[in-house]
Amino acid sequence: MRLPASMQVFERGWLSANNILFIGRSETTLVDSGYVTHAPQTLALLRHALAGRPLDRIVNTHLHSDHCGGNAALKDAYGCRIAIPVFEAAKVRAWDEDALSYRATGQQCARFGFEATIAPGDVLTMGDLRWQALSAPGHDPHALLFWCAQEGILIAGDALWQNGFGVIFPELAGEPGFGEVRATLDLIAQLAPRLVIPGHGAPFLDVAAALQRAYSRLDYLAADPVRNAENAVKVLLKFLLIERRAIPLAEVTALFETVPLLVLARERFLPRSSAALAQWAVRALEKAGAANLREGILADA
Amino acid sequence: MVPATGLCEGCMRTIDEIVAWGRADDATKRAIWAEIRRREAQIAFD
Repeated sequence: MRLPASMQVFERGWLSANNILFIGRSETTLVDSGYVTHAPQTLALLRHALAGRPLDRIVNTHLHSDHCGGNAALKDAYGCRIAIPVFEAAKVRAWDEDALSYRATGQQCARFGFEATIAPGDVLTMGDLRWQALSAPGHDPHALLFWCAQEGILIAGDALWQNGFGVIFPELAGEPGFGEVRATLDLIAQLAPRLVIPGHGAPFLDVAAALQRAYSRLDYLAADPVRNAENAVKVLLKFLLIERRAIPLAEVTALFETVPLLVLARERFLPRSSAALAQWAVRALEKAGAANLREGILADA
Repeated sequence: MVPATGLCEGCMRTIDEIVAWGRADDATKRAIWAEIRRREAQIAFD
């Protein structure tokens, strides 16, 4: 898998999205900064890879907590500029946690500011290469892709993974998402990248097959919005479980009573008690091998 | 990271290995995976 010499991918996990480091002749840029609790590791990776050079800029594909949680710590360490998708500017300026996704998901993110905004169509130079920002709504209404036509490389964020894509959150709030995901997949198909660097998982070359899987997944979810809500509930619980390692069962039920998106998903799509939904989600994670329940404690697996 | 071992608690790789991973060929990745399995076997999970 050939990557231009000026770019490196730090393949992380699920709590932290991947980071892409560009070392250009006159500027260094990091695309996405991981989850807040992983910030010390993100900084250690950067210090190692930059070998004494400073980090000049952070660029975010979107502002979910697993993609921008390291922004504040890296800014502290390097004094770097931060560039965010333009339609998030007001929310970040005011640090409106209700409008940003952190309160709704029960996730954490350290407050950060920004020096620049990126609009769809803008061209950025990263690692001495030209990257065009493109709008990628669906998983997040304001998410961006970064496309390097010269190299045929797409930085996809959570719009396309090797096996699927990020939860279609807007649909939970009754806002359109399925059509947006389809349009974003169509756009990627049209670009026909040689290599995709996803927000999670390894960079991959077989883009046509990944698109086929993504379209079938979308068809499955869009056919019945309850499926999308069920998927969101499982993913949200799994994320909190990865973050906390283990959660007593009583607290899992409390999460289903208090985390706004879990409440919303239940009220709109999954009518039953919080306790019943919690129990269903725990079973679903156990069945998928994503969690173990022992002596009243749900542990990450 | 676990200070005593220098390993990521989640993926059991060192900082060196995580940085190198994105450019590593399959043989190198397999060698690191073998090392990860060895490390896992040495760690007592509670």
